[in-house]
Amino acid sequence: MSASPLWRVAAVLRKEVRDALRDRRTLLVSLLTAAAAGPIFLVLIFNLIARQADRARELHLPVVGVHHAPALAAFLERNQAILIPAPPDYEAKVRAGHLDVVLVVDERFAADVAEGKQGTVRLVSDRSRDRAQASIRQAENLLRAYNRQWGTQRLLLRGVAPSVGNPLDVEDVDLATPQQSGALILFLVAFYGLLASVMGGMAAALDTTAGERERQSLEPLLMTPARPGELVVGKWLAVVLFNALVVVVTLAGFYLTLAFAPLPAVGAPFLFGAREFGRFLFVLAPMILLMPAVLLYVGSRGRTFKEAQANVSVLMFVVSMVPAIQLFLQQREPDWLVLVPVSGQYMLLKLALRGEAVPLAQLALSFAVPALLAAAALAGVARLVGREASFASR
Amino acid sequence: MIAIDRLAKSFGRKREVHAVREVSFVARDGEITGLLGPNGAGKTTLLRMLATLIVPDAGTARIGDLDVVRDRYAVRERIGVLSDARGLYPRLTARENIRYYGELHGLPGPALSARVDALIDTLGLAPLADRRAQGFSQGERMKVAIARALVHDPATILLDEPTNGLDIMSTRALREQLRSLRSAGKCLLFSSHVMQEVAALCDRIVILGAGRVVADGTAQALIAQSGAATLEDAFVTLLGSGEGLAA
Repeated sequence: MSASPLWRVAAVLRKEVRDALRDRRTLLVSLLTAAAAGPIFLVLIFNLIARQADRARELHLPVVGVHHAPALAAFLERNQAILIPAPPDYEAKVRAGHLDVVLVVDERFAADVAEGKQGTVRLVSDRSRDRAQASIRQAENLLRAYNRQWGTQRLLLRGVAPSVGNPLDVEDVDLATPQQSGALILFLVAFYGLLASVMGGMAAALDTTAGERERQSLEPLLMTPARPGELVVGKWLAVVLFNALVVVVTLAGFYLTLAFAPLPAVGAPFLFGAREFGRFLFVLAPMILLMPAVLLYVGSRGRTFKEAQANVSVLMFVVSMVPAIQLFLQQREPDWLVLVPVSGQYMLLKLALRGEAVPLAQLALSFAVPALLAAAALAGVARLVGREASFASR
Repeated sequence: MIAIDRLAKSFGRKREVHAVREVSFVARDGEITGLLGPNGAGKTTLLRMLATLIVPDAGTARIGDLDVVRDRYAVRERIGVLSDARGLYPRLTARENIRYYGELHGLPGPALSARVDALIDTLGLAPLADRRAQGFSQGERMKVAIARALVHDPATILLDEPTNGLDIMSTRALREQLRSLRSAGKCLLFSSHVMQEVAALCDRIVILGAGRVVADGTAQALIAQSGAATLEDAFVTLLGSGEGLAA
């Protein structure tokens, strides 16, 4: 009558999967959130980029006192800027975000220029507004171009070569491959993929550890011939399955949105095709295996479901902070970072998205530490579960 | 058969809580042995040691020819336990709850199905069998827990306060079930703090007080030993007081 350990692991796995599938509401919520993340987020960010591009193409520039500098006005209009008279309360309007940037020509402009002094113009803007950045930059560039043209003309009149006044010739060479230009979007895609692999198994892991204890079904389970290790491995495999499902659904959301949704053409050509989908799954695999083990451990340490939930949210916060910190540091990551779970995966995801090859050695290293940690966590859970009975008794 | 020899277990950081001090007795096959004692007498700790959940500090206990410490997993295949924690999986049906334990005991598919059907039939679970355990009443949950504990047809059955929270009808049904298990030659050990319960059902009674065996014998033997007129008086006399017992 005695069965093999494998048989019992399979029995636990079957039961846990069925149990979690019956929890329709939790399942639906986590899968819908995963599926919706990609589309919602991509549509928002693409529209933002498209709107900024529109603003940049067509600069509506409110002006004050432009009749003091008719040549400047003519130059701006020649360069496709549309000059409109600024309202009298333009400063308040800029502050409130109704206007991006206002050009003010000093009333002494003509007189100053006539006396050979520098003429003063002011660009009034609020640089804390991301939305306004494109307009501000374009207005600045136009003024700088006018300044250069005017100065060059003066030098030429005096018989001086323009290169005397401009000894430095700066050429802009942008090495970004087409995929790199959508960098921010791509990093956010990586972040969401990573987040899905971290959080995907949360509900199932808590339910099968802290939930099982709170329902008082763990103790009877420990009186069956199933060894603690077999129970834990079965539960872990079940949570891994759900975690993988959430990751696949999240990535599919990104993939389908990019492939089929009517997104505005913003000239941010990057790829998230079947190849990237596969690479993502491969890079995230260590997390899909590790996080359920960690969640099971945290779940079995909590004395109650509530306590376990509180501990898990702390863990989630820490884990999701890691890529955010990496994004803000904006530094080239050191090579050893690939060994650190989460950081390493984030790094490799970015490589995959940039269209660069993911080195096999790096990939192998990124599996090593999570594999060890997962094994340690599972051994820890088995020990906790084995001690459960003596805990429960007093 | 259960043979317990000078079993002891203490808890606490300095082992200052002596739950079971020294307990020896034998429970035979084909008999229902009652374990009676007030709350805190050590009944649950004793049953947990027999169920291999906790390891005794001293003494030995054997289920058949197996030692509860050395052969713990083999022991688990031979015992059916209804412990005081008897949670079901609320999202699984009664049948699935029972099947799960059968699978963990390694019963092959067809034999398991037949066994589960038979248990559902004898325990009167048929109307509940394919409903989720979510909304079951105490008595219904109890029946499923018993079926789960018996799914592998164990020779030895341990029950910790099985009638707790049951109404009269469920209690009577449970007694019937236990009697039929006795006729099938099983060894049943049944703990309770309810005198009537033990008196009505058990062939032999072991009275526990403060972690020791106070008396051990048939109802008649206990009455004779204490010199009291009724079984109830005998309990009180033997324990020194009736505190913690329910009539």
